[in-house]
Amino acid sequence: MSANPTVFVVDDDPHVLRALSRLLGAKGYDVRGFNSPNAFLDQHDASVPGCAVLDVAMPELDGLQLQSALSHGLVARPVIFLTGKGDIPTSVKAMKAGAVDFLRKPVDAKELLPAIDVAIERDERARRLSDELTSIWSRVANLTPREHEVLTYVIAGRLNKQIAHNLGTVEKTIKVHRGRMMEKLGVRTVADLVRLADKAGITPREGLRG
Amino acid sequence: MFGVHNLDAALSRLLTVGKRPTLVAALYLLGAEAAFLVGTLSDKIFAPFWPPNIVLFGAFLAAPWRRWWIYPVVVFPVHAWAELRVGMAVPQLLVAFVTNVAVAMINASAVRRFLGGPPWLGTPRKASLYILITAAASPAFVAFPGAFVEILGGGPVTNYGTYWTHWFASNSLGAVTLGSAVAAWQGSNRSAFKPLPSHHRAEYILSVVILVVASATAFQFAARLTIGDFMPAFLYAPLPVLLWISVRFGAKGASTAIIIVALVLIIRSLNGSTLFVTQDSETNVLSLQLFIISLAIPILLLSASVDQARDAERSIRKHEELITFVATNANIGFWQLDLATDRLWLSDHGLAMLGLPPEREPSLRTIFKMIHPEDRESIERSMQKAARDGDLRLNEFRCVIPGGGTRWFLARSHPSCNEEGTIVQFSGFFADITTQKALETEAEIQRNEVAHLMRISMLGELSGAITHELNQPLTAILSNAQAAEEILGRSPSDLTEIPGILEDIGREAARASEVIERLRRLMKKSESKRETVDFNALITATLTLLRSETIQRKITVETNLAEELPSVSGDPIQLQQVLLNLIMNACEAMNAVPPERRVVVISTRATAAGIESVIADRGPGLSTEDEKRIFEPFFTTKKHGLGLGLSICTTIIAAHGGRLTLTNNSAGGAMTVICLPKQVGSLKGAVG
Repeated sequence: MSANPTVFVVDDDPHVLRALSRLLGAKGYDVRGFNSPNAFLDQHDASVPGCAVLDVAMPELDGLQLQSALSHGLVARPVIFLTGKGDIPTSVKAMKAGAVDFLRKPVDAKELLPAIDVAIERDERARRLSDELTSIWSRVANLTPREHEVLTYVIAGRLNKQIAHNLGTVEKTIKVHRGRMMEKLGVRTVADLVRLADKAGITPREGLRG
Repeated sequence: MFGVHNLDAALSRLLTVGKRPTLVAALYLLGAEAAFLVGTLSDKIFAPFWPPNIVLFGAFLAAPWRRWWIYPVVVFPVHAWAELRVGMAVPQLLVAFVTNVAVAMINASAVRRFLGGPPWLGTPRKASLYILITAAASPAFVAFPGAFVEILGGGPVTNYGTYWTHWFASNSLGAVTLGSAVAAWQGSNRSAFKPLPSHHRAEYILSVVILVVASATAFQFAARLTIGDFMPAFLYAPLPVLLWISVRFGAKGASTAIIIVALVLIIRSLNGSTLFVTQDSETNVLSLQLFIISLAIPILLLSASVDQARDAERSIRKHEELITFVATNANIGFWQLDLATDRLWLSDHGLAMLGLPPEREPSLRTIFKMIHPEDRESIERSMQKAARDGDLRLNEFRCVIPGGGTRWFLARSHPSCNEEGTIVQFSGFFADITTQKALETEAEIQRNEVAHLMRISMLGELSGAITHELNQPLTAILSNAQAAEEILGRSPSDLTEIPGILEDIGREAARASEVIERLRRLMKKSESKRETVDFNALITATLTLLRSETIQRKITVETNLAEELPSVSGDPIQLQQVLLNLIMNACEAMNAVPPERRVVVISTRATAAGIESVIADRGPGLSTEDEKRIFEPFFTTKKHGLGLGLSICTTIIAAHGGRLTLTNNSAGGAMTVICLPKQVGSLKGAVG
């Protein structure tokens, strides 16, 4: 996580682009300006944290198309739209697609800066979450199939005895699997395990009576 | 009812048809009786002047061919009765009748065949032919059988030559006297002579009286004096009066006068007192006949040429009257300028149009002073040009009419050259076009009103795009200002960026005001004006205004503008309106086309006459039905269109002397072609 998040500004009007870049630069953001959507897409590095400020109406690719292009990665870069006119259908579409805000030009710093802060914060949160998930998924991937199976029973609240019965083995074996599994996933309590599984999207084994 | 009506019509037809033969028969009898009254030759049968032949001639001349047979049938009993009364034998009577009918028929058919139509004695040529036919050829021919009448009556065959001469002279005399009068009066427009002013009538009557007196007394004196030396002088006593009558009254007057002279002379000759004192009265009569014939011929020819001249004069006067009438009603004046003397002639109405007193030649200076000061220079230029190439056209100029305000005129002329080919005179007309001008102005005002309303409505449609155009510089200004504020609020402040920021703010403000200015101009309702317009620049400016509109519609605009494009003369606002409208139409035509294929191509090129600009889209194009009606007002292919856009564009382009066409592009889509004439010179179009 770098100290200064980057704000990507895309506007086909060079004068507007320069003014916005200047303002955001003065406010202490790292600003990268692009005067065409395609140039931005070509050079876009999704790993760089930060948000994008996009003009809605641009030749080649409009803001909405650019937004959807940006959402392809794991982390959708938060987008703030600037528009020359209050076009309600476009703004609704943009917000549905996850835009942080939809601001009218001429945009006041008092509106733009808080929106950028919200966007950056959302980006940071998303990146944090993404990092956490990545680590969880790599740990889950280390489990043997049996350990994974045991995991689904544990988070469903089954006792070792019940699990052993269901898997047709002895309670002791289950205990070993369970211990290894907890170790690999780096959790100590069942509560931690349940929360991790939830984040990783692992569903408890259901429909079994033991 | 129908039958009764038909019967009625048939009866009245029969009456009108029967009227003329009855009249002819009556006249025939009257003529025969008159001839006997005037006198016959010694045989008491043969008259030297035989009017019945002329009565028949007149009847044949007037009647259609198919009715000719009626007249011989009708007059035969009359003829027989008259001749039997004077004791003519039946064979004689028959031959005389046949020859009489023959001479009348030959004369009438030949006259009709060779003279064309009445007036029969209208020109010297016709009069000569008439005389040749009726006074020479046909009497000579008919006299061959006619001479037998007297031989049948007992005359010696050795006298055949004399009898032939009797017949010839008698028929010939009839032709030049009564015959010529019949020919002169028959078929001519009687009303031209009838309402003769009373002093003319008095003059004619007086002339005839003098003629009668002159003829009678001259012969009286001649007979008494019997001095052969004076004879020619007396012989020609009636001549001055005859000449006077033919000059004053033409063929009708002259032929009538000749009859009178002939009658007076014949009566006096047959009654003993005569100029021609020869062996016997018959030879006297013959000499008299020949004398009258030779007197009548030149008189008839003279009167014919008088008629011709008078006719020509009358038709010229009629034309002049018509031209004056038309010119007065069409408010046209005529003028003529003599280049050697600088003398200017204007028609009366022309003078009145210019508020000048009638019947006084105005000087060229007076006229030139009346020309509106603003138009003088161009008029002078046109005059100089005309002096070189002879083509004088003053298209539109104003004159300040004394006490009548300022009026618009147009003038045209053609040059007249002398033998060396240099122009010596200009003559032509000028017309008052003030009313037309006022209508044009009125129409232009209305066109401007409508064009203005359409501009406003179009700007309404474009308001989103225009807002965007205005918001861009405002955004830049606001962000630059807030950036500067931020920079200046820091301590220590780094001022290096401040000058750049301020410069940007200034430039963006200028850009914003330019957008506003452009809008203001489009929204303003102003009279159309003529300026030098760079059409390429106009296209670029229009595309700037439409930039965000085209972006939003995902339309790519390609331009292909000619480099050396001649400038046009026009109202930039209205021309821009046309461009806005046409480009918007092109954009709207592609609503249903996938975005990657939405292209508008705008091109310009120089043509011989001026410029041509094409706006082509890739839309569905026009259906045949659309193509036919697309320029009609209120016709639209759009869901919410008023249908006025194109018709206004056409009007605007037409008012600029250009043409707007809309066709399908061979590559698909529709294309609009604007043709505009190139600007000529820098003058304001008063005189072209």
